[in-house]
Amino acid sequence: MDMLEVDIGTLDSWIEQLFECKQLSELSVKNLCDKASAKEVLMQESNVQPVRCPVTVCGDIHGQFHDLVELFKIGGNSPDTNYLFMGDYVDRGYYSVETVTLLVAMKIRFPERITILRGNHESRQITQVYGFYDECLRKYGNAEVWKHFTDLFDYLPLTALIEEQIFCLHGGLSPSIDTLDHIRSLDRGPMCDLLWSDPDDRCGWGISPRGAGYTFGQDISEAFNHNNGLTLIARAHQLVMEGYNWSQEKNVVTIFSAPNYCYRCGNQAAIMEID
Amino acid sequence: MASGQPAYDFQDAQSGDLGALAAIADAMKSDSLTDRLESLKRLNVLALAMGEERTREELVPFLDESIDDEDELLLSLAEVLGNFVQYVGGPKYAYVLLRPLENLAAAEETVVREKAVESINKLIEAMDQPQVEEYVIPCIARLSTGEWFTSRSSAAGLYAAAYGKVTDAIQAQLRGGYEALCKDETPMIRRAAASNLVGLVTRVEKSHVVSFAIPNFRRLAEDDQDSVRLLAVEPLVAIGERLTTEECRQSLTDSVQKLCSDKSWRVRYMVADHFVAIAKSIKDKEIQEELVNVAVSLMHDNEAEVRSAICTQLDGLADLANSENVAARFLPPLQELVEDQSQHVRATLAKHIGTLCRVFGKQGTIEHLLPLFLRLLKDSFPDVRLNVISKLDVVDSVVGIDSLSQSLLPAIVELAEDKQWRVRLAIIEYVPLISSQLGVQFFDEQLSNLCMSWLGDPVYSIREAATVNLKKLTEVFGVAWARTTIIPKILAMASHPNYLYRMTTIFAITAIAPSVTPEIVRDLILPALESLVTDPIPNIRFNVAKSMEPLASVLRSSPETAPLEQTTIRTVLAKLEEDPDPDVRFYAHKALESISNSA
Repeated sequence: MDMLEVDIGTLDSWIEQLFECKQLSELSVKNLCDKASAKEVLMQESNVQPVRCPVTVCGDIHGQFHDLVELFKIGGNSPDTNYLFMGDYVDRGYYSVETVTLLVAMKIRFPERITILRGNHESRQITQVYGFYDECLRKYGNAEVWKHFTDLFDYLPLTALIEEQIFCLHGGLSPSIDTLDHIRSLDRGPMCDLLWSDPDDRCGWGISPRGAGYTFGQDISEAFNHNNGLTLIARAHQLVMEGYNWSQEKNVVTIFSAPNYCYRCGNQAAIMEID
Repeated sequence: MASGQPAYDFQDAQSGDLGALAAIADAMKSDSLTDRLESLKRLNVLALAMGEERTREELVPFLDESIDDEDELLLSLAEVLGNFVQYVGGPKYAYVLLRPLENLAAAEETVVREKAVESINKLIEAMDQPQVEEYVIPCIARLSTGEWFTSRSSAAGLYAAAYGKVTDAIQAQLRGGYEALCKDETPMIRRAAASNLVGLVTRVEKSHVVSFAIPNFRRLAEDDQDSVRLLAVEPLVAIGERLTTEECRQSLTDSVQKLCSDKSWRVRYMVADHFVAIAKSIKDKEIQEELVNVAVSLMHDNEAEVRSAICTQLDGLADLANSENVAARFLPPLQELVEDQSQHVRATLAKHIGTLCRVFGKQGTIEHLLPLFLRLLKDSFPDVRLNVISKLDVVDSVVGIDSLSQSLLPAIVELAEDKQWRVRLAIIEYVPLISSQLGVQFFDEQLSNLCMSWLGDPVYSIREAATVNLKKLTEVFGVAWARTTIIPKILAMASHPNYLYRMTTIFAITAIAPSVTPEIVRDLILPALESLVTDPIPNIRFNVAKSMEPLASVLRSSPETAPLEQTTIRTVLAKLEEDPDPDVRFYAHKALESISNSA
């Protein structure tokens, strides 16, 4: 294995700087995302990354950096508290750059203590429409940083499995996937249903109004949980006013961690501590 | 150019390398805004290389001619030129920078103009009298008579700095020029004149305060635009400060009354926001008494912003009012304000009402203010509760802790379990203070359980504050007390099935360790931590490792316990250094290194 280009002292100083909401230099971002550090760490992880308890599970952040800092005030600091983030770090909020840089830096510094999954916004296409691309241009004067991060997003695992029981992913289930083993065998590439689907009150599979992914009923989640020996599917992706929402007779929980989403929705945020 | 690297590499420019200088010069003409901005940042390098004379004769005129149309660039240029005196040959050549800055002072974008004015003022600072008269005065004259409003508006910002640097005759000229700006037909110019009047008021001779400042202030204070009138408030304060009590009474009473009852709420807001400053500058006791009535009426104002602004003045207001009847005058509006329909007004009130205790006195506070505090403590808006708690120490100092505890403690205890964690946090931070005043017995009976329950709070910041609180309590009540009361309770949590409690145990004992004796660390704390070395959760184990360093430094302070650093602590860390988890190994290794270094 290559020597890590970025040593622990550098990472610690970056993390400290990012906690003050100060972006890293373009060169630092390049080093952070480079093959020798971030990609190496992420590539070793499974597409169903096993996670041990205790862990605190978080939903969408969407560039709301100050709310992320608040989240750590409530949940505890890294690495003392273990975290699992279920995607959508960028777009919409004003600090996507600082948010995603911080989470990636923390991931590299403490790979065992923090897990970051891919959300539907961790994508080249989506970020060009919903703000991350523009923010990178504004803050760095060019698109290099956007390029480094969107290249890195391809290496993010799609799902995680807490203690063989709780299946965590950004969106939801897919009609073309029945088992966790199937997901393990997937290439990292765009497996879009997992990042786009939503649970629904209607049984069976439905067409998603989002134009990507599907809706799935309680029968689907029950069968999936049963067949894979799971107790719960934890996912994010949808705004829920209380910050969390049980659905499908507690087969599915939705967690959303961006309070007052887009600075106007007035919703609360939630995190889920599992011990 | 939209993507990709900057086209110019400036790295070597510091060395004066010719290629790099050419690169800066090229970049100034580049199509890319980023490159042009970068080149401006390195203008000083170019100037140094060119030398003072060529900078004056070539670079500055070039900058002037090639004035860009990008506001971002103009802003940067306006800033750079203000700091450029040393590169053109020092103060005696500062005037060459005036020309480009004069152009920038006429720019369309406000921030560019403001920066240019700031920079010209820096130049004036550096220049001597003849230079100011020869170069700056004509520049001010040109800007003041500019056809477009932008230059006239900038001109207003230059008079004050120039005024102190010219002879009497020219001062008279400047006063005339400024008066014209105060009478300008464009409201924007009158606004600029109003907001820059303070600078002149403080610089002109006393006789001109009367002959020049007051008439212009009056004119602005009676302007038909409320946006101009509201800017007359600050000059009013400045003028008042230069006048005697008698002069204030004669010249300002009228204007003050008019501004206080202005039909525009924005003007009344400015008055409310500056209320104490206005009243103090007026000095006259009789007018001040009347102003207290005005303040009371502003507390009843229709606009929430005005009511909120006058609440920020409560502290100074209390000093103005005659303390005998202060309660009678303030109580009715205060009683309305605690029920104000705007939560922001109530929050502001909560922040400032505590300062009134001083003038209400002990009896008055207990009788009149405590009921209001109690209402605010139960307000539905968390900021209101938070603000009143954070000022309770002021209340303590007036009424004494007994009255406070009797009347407010139940409410405080209730808030200790508030749904908003920041409210709980404010209560925790207040606990060491009340505990020290209430004494140990009261604490053990009333607050002890509460303090321990915070250690199990679902919010991390509360648990953290709870550990700091225990440290402070140990300092207040002593080590012997801590040993028998809180330490056993903390250590009992080390075997709690939920790892968060075990984690809090480590945080808490690490926090209080410096405040207890080395013997307590040896007899109680270290054994508890040793039991956590084999904890199933890696986060617990690496926090044990992290805690060893602070504990070692306590043990070191006594010859009896010092050897433990090289025995027990080393053993603990050696074991953790073999841990299967990389983070545990990391922190164990780090702690071992620091122990070895200090040995």
